[in-house]
Amino acid sequence: MNKSTKSNMVSLYRLIPLTLTMILAACGGDDGAPGNPGEPGGPPANDISTLVVDISDVTTDAGIATVNYRVSNEDDEPVVGVATGTYIAAQLLPQGYTNAGNGSQWQYFTSESCTSTCTGELVDHKNGNYSYTFSAAFDGLNDVSYLPGSTQRMIIKIGGDALPDGTSLPITNQHFDWSDSGEPAYTRNLIAIETCNTCHNDLAFHGPSGFEKYNEVETCVTCHNADRVSNPDNIFPQMIHTKHLTGFPGDLANCQTCHVADETLTENMNWARVPGMEACGSCHTNINFPAGEGHPAQTDNSNCVACHNSDWTASIHNDGGDDEALAQFNANLVSASLTGNTVTFSITLTNPATNTVYLDSADKLDFIDDLRVYGNWGTSFDYAPSAKSIKLQNSSPISGSNGTYTYAISGLTIPAGTESDNGTLAIQGKLCSSQGELGNCEEEQFSTVNIKSSHQFFSAAELTDTGRRVVVTNGTCGSCHGVQELNFHGARNDLEGQCQLCHNPNMTADATASNPSVSTADYKHLIHSLHSAQREGYETLNYPGQIGNCAQCHTSDDNGLLSASLPLYSGVRPLAIDNGTFTSATAAICSDCHFNDTARNHMTQQGAVFMGSEADATAGTESCSTCHGAGAPADILKVHPIN
Amino acid sequence: MNNRILNLEPLPIKLSLLAMAIASLLSPAYADGYGLSQANRAAVKLDKWQCKRCSVSTDTRGTIGAGIAYNDGTDSRFGNTSGTDEDGVVGHLEADLLLKNESGYQTRIEADKLGYDNGRARVSTGTPGHYEIILGYRGIANYDTNSALTPYMIDGDKMNLPDNWQTGATTVQMTELFNSANPVALKTQRDRFNLGAGYIGSFYKAELDYQHEARKGKRTFSGNLLTNSAMLAQPIDDSTDNLGAKIYFNGANWLAGIDATLSHYNNDHDAINWQSAFTPTFGAAYRGQSASSSDNKAYRIAANAQLGGNGHQILMQTGFSRFSQDETFLPATINGPSPSLPQSDLDGQVDMIEMTLKYTGRITRELSVRAAYDYKDRDNKAQVLNMPQVVTDSYYAGTATNPEYDRTRQKASFAAKYRFTRNIYLDTGYRYDHNKYSDLDRETLQESGIYGRLSYRPSQAWAFGFKAEIKDRSGSEYRAVTTTSSNNNPFLRKSYLADREHQEYRLQADYSGSGALSASANLHYSQDDYTDTNVGLTDVTTSGYDISAQYLIDEDLSINAFLNQDWRDSEQAGSSNFGSANWYANSDERSTLVGAGVQYQNLMDSKLSLGLDYNYSDGQSDTEITQGFTSPYGDYFSTKHNINAFADYRFSEKMAIRIDWIFEQYEDADWSNQGLSLDAIPNVLTFGSLSHDYSAHYLGLTLSYQL
Repeated sequence: MNKSTKSNMVSLYRLIPLTLTMILAACGGDDGAPGNPGEPGGPPANDISTLVVDISDVTTDAGIATVNYRVSNEDDEPVVGVATGTYIAAQLLPQGYTNAGNGSQWQYFTSESCTSTCTGELVDHKNGNYSYTFSAAFDGLNDVSYLPGSTQRMIIKIGGDALPDGTSLPITNQHFDWSDSGEPAYTRNLIAIETCNTCHNDLAFHGPSGFEKYNEVETCVTCHNADRVSNPDNIFPQMIHTKHLTGFPGDLANCQTCHVADETLTENMNWARVPGMEACGSCHTNINFPAGEGHPAQTDNSNCVACHNSDWTASIHNDGGDDEALAQFNANLVSASLTGNTVTFSITLTNPATNTVYLDSADKLDFIDDLRVYGNWGTSFDYAPSAKSIKLQNSSPISGSNGTYTYAISGLTIPAGTESDNGTLAIQGKLCSSQGELGNCEEEQFSTVNIKSSHQFFSAAELTDTGRRVVVTNGTCGSCHGVQELNFHGARNDLEGQCQLCHNPNMTADATASNPSVSTADYKHLIHSLHSAQREGYETLNYPGQIGNCAQCHTSDDNGLLSASLPLYSGVRPLAIDNGTFTSATAAICSDCHFNDTARNHMTQQGAVFMGSEADATAGTESCSTCHGAGAPADILKVHPIN
Repeated sequence: MNNRILNLEPLPIKLSLLAMAIASLLSPAYADGYGLSQANRAAVKLDKWQCKRCSVSTDTRGTIGAGIAYNDGTDSRFGNTSGTDEDGVVGHLEADLLLKNESGYQTRIEADKLGYDNGRARVSTGTPGHYEIILGYRGIANYDTNSALTPYMIDGDKMNLPDNWQTGATTVQMTELFNSANPVALKTQRDRFNLGAGYIGSFYKAELDYQHEARKGKRTFSGNLLTNSAMLAQPIDDSTDNLGAKIYFNGANWLAGIDATLSHYNNDHDAINWQSAFTPTFGAAYRGQSASSSDNKAYRIAANAQLGGNGHQILMQTGFSRFSQDETFLPATINGPSPSLPQSDLDGQVDMIEMTLKYTGRITRELSVRAAYDYKDRDNKAQVLNMPQVVTDSYYAGTATNPEYDRTRQKASFAAKYRFTRNIYLDTGYRYDHNKYSDLDRETLQESGIYGRLSYRPSQAWAFGFKAEIKDRSGSEYRAVTTTSSNNNPFLRKSYLADREHQEYRLQADYSGSGALSASANLHYSQDDYTDTNVGLTDVTTSGYDISAQYLIDEDLSINAFLNQDWRDSEQAGSSNFGSANWYANSDERSTLVGAGVQYQNLMDSKLSLGLDYNYSDGQSDTEITQGFTSPYGDYFSTKHNINAFADYRFSEKMAIRIDWIFEQYEDADWSNQGLSLDAIPNVLTFGSLSHDYSAHYLGLTLSYQL
């Protein structure tokens, strides 16, 4: 294809108005180049927020591959004139092919690109369809032999630049597994990038910041394999495992944090079914398999499954029956009321698996290692200074029978005038279990497992659904930490509603800190400061996503408004500082991240109070919402990279 | 068929009545009017049957001989052909003597290659038709290899390594391996002694038979400790004693009897206990131990009855067997404290009840029908116990129960045979087979099918037959057993329990025309289609043909030749991701057997006989795995050329000399073992390469004297 003709044509297409384009397309154009009446592509796309690359097939002629694909936008309108791209070819060796016990392996052949020129030949069919023909046959490239019948992968990467008319194209990776003998006979589909992105947001690598080229795991593996990278540590499984060894926000032993069960991924269970020294050894780093250090000597992977069968591997690396055990226990508050500073509540312990009630009280159930209830008052003002608790496993109930028992927690702080407010009861605990069965904690084979903590609001008279606002949820926290899998202080894992009972605004910030707001343990500041690696002890934390993506943690209300939006809920109290001063609420929160003189001056100028009197800090002088409130010109939801 | 001579004397005692009864079960001939009850005995002119040319001699007749031979025992496998694995000169005795007196009492002494591992001898004495006492010996040797290499030494039940042995985590690290490896012969020698007696009364017959078989030798055993394994030459020292008794009564149209056998197996070894060549993987696993076959007993008592008349015949058979063993259990592990066992022995007992009912009847001259019902019940009476499971003698892996594997099998069949003309008949039938299992993936399995056999005999010389059969197998819902340590792929269907459609065809032609030439040929084909199998064996196709011919050129010279070829193609589907099939294996097996022989006797004034046989056999298996692309396995074959020639020259009235020459060229290959060195596999201490490639001769000289 004559390249100058092509680029002229492209320019023409992109520059003429849409209606005219339609006419021209129908007539086959007037630039001398014949159109393609047999394959009408429809009107070209005008807006492109998403590029869709649909690879229809790969054909070969004398071993030289041609990939045929269509590019369209989010509305399925063809995108014409994409003149640049990268084309990567790799081959998959089946499981067990390289040696008994080895997993399937990718083999890199080549990567060709079209920039100002093309390594091979790109044909733009002018209707959204394209064909790229490689410059050479794959066989022998990169010293890899092409195996007829084997599974092949084609990667097309386009975007990151603009069409000649200036329409910018988002970076898009698309993979296509094919075989010269029909449907690929085998695959290697272990993981979905969506799983990575629950924590990492939009992962992308290689290229200038903001223009990273490769954003699909299917792309990564075509190069990060033994035939492409010189350092074995950069082979994909080992590399990914190693990179997550430090600072991993969840349970590292739970392979299914990343290898999420997914029936659409055919090799999803490889983590348990195909053990090998490379993948396993990249986490179990104290083992030298061939030398027999830390593990009996193994020179290859042929024997791994002899001991480490998939059931065993799975039970060791996931909960080992914890889910089954926990499914046999539920603690339900059935009533609560406040008298003076004492909350009296009744609880029923049930076995949802059998739909029965445990008739004994917690102190008589031998499988309960720990079961506590915490109480605090004041859901509208983010609680009184300190929560009070009771350990049910050590307490005789005040009254009750047949599975429902009554207890009391006294000593709650009820600030004067807040009697009509609500309080919160939070439940946490540990059960004893082994291989999915609950059992006597005294017996050695049973180990403890944390129950999922929970919380329940109550008014002076009864249990209620009304209580503290929801800012983050266990689900949003769970996107990195696993839902209720992150435990603090023993068995506290209800990050949505439990922690706040103690981590409340009554906690004070260190006046001597350079940025006092990141020194308090008040929940909001605690969370902001440690995730941004500003908090003492968390300096090395490497936040895996975009720290400015408030939506990673903040939840949305029923109207879809993110809880991070301004203005703040009116009950949010100013930051209390240990020298008796206060910083106004919005300024305190924003300065968790935006802390420099410029930001501080800007906030002060707009009415914020830093380390002032409580009266000043709560006088309502902050005018942040005028510009940064929901729908305002500099709405914080717009200026942050939220997705 | 010997049925017709049942009531005619003399009766060869070797053909037991039971065998006859069984033979009659298998043969539909009775229905056609050739059965016992059909025999028109009144018309039989017994005197016409007398052998006019047979003169009854009362002296001793026969030959005795002694032989000496050179045998090439470089590769002991040749011994399977020559009868001995001695390398060099070997001697043997031959005898075939008949001593008779006028009263009819006779003694026969036979010896064949006595002195060789595969020799035999037999003395029988008695009066034919009245009683006989037999004393017999037979040696049966089976030679596997004499080139297996092992560093292990045998000490009773124990297999030990040399004192200076250096253990290693892998075989390469075993520095003393090559210095201490010595060849060991893998062979078994069975010495079978018989003592039997038979008596034939006027209306009854009785037989008593005792057999003692002692077995010695060595065989391959895999000594596993977790993931490490050593090939061991396990010593075999065991014996089996069988005692059988039969008594049968017969009347005009009936036959009935009782048949009892008693068997006792005794193993001199309780266990094989071996020193580990590897450094322990965990703990102090320095030795491994595995139980040997346990001593056990069995008895069977059966009653048979057969009655008939008027073209109808009924046969009934019922039997009860009991198998038992109470060998003391070995500890669950010898490496560390053994978990306690629920019992000191299994106290195992399996009872089996059998019953067979058969009817054959001739309805018209042209039509006869058959019906049969067969019941067999296997009931394992051993208690189901929670056994501690210690995986490969190293770690405790919970408990497992012993499955019972009970089975009740019922078979029924109906068949009819119709004779269109003297030359054409059609035999068709229906068969039903129902099985009920315990502890398997299916509770019931049933198969039913029909068959037909058309027989056409256009002339005395020619006979043609065509047989076709189709069967369909299905059963209860397939539920993968959960007793395996890893779950079965839910798509897997075990071939012996899977739904299956079977068809087979056979075409047969026989020629026996001129008396000089006889020939036969057949063509056969079968197919098994496993219709509901996604993972597992999916299809098996076999086909083949046999051709054989014999031609008597003249009274002294005959030639014969045969050719058989068979093919078997098996298709298997597997899954590498515990899902539906994604890889496929195809195994093509082929065997060829070609032979030709010539026999020339009465040469040189009837003093010389010559014989020459040549056989060629070739078997091979080609397996390919296809997952996108195809990967073939390596060589798996064996080929053999065998020449067997003799010359027998009677150089005087009484003396003859015989020369035997056997030549064999044999080669085999198994890709999984070929060229393997002792340390080729890191975690398996092998015997080295066990393939054969030899050309060996046997040259024997036998001098015989005719009495």
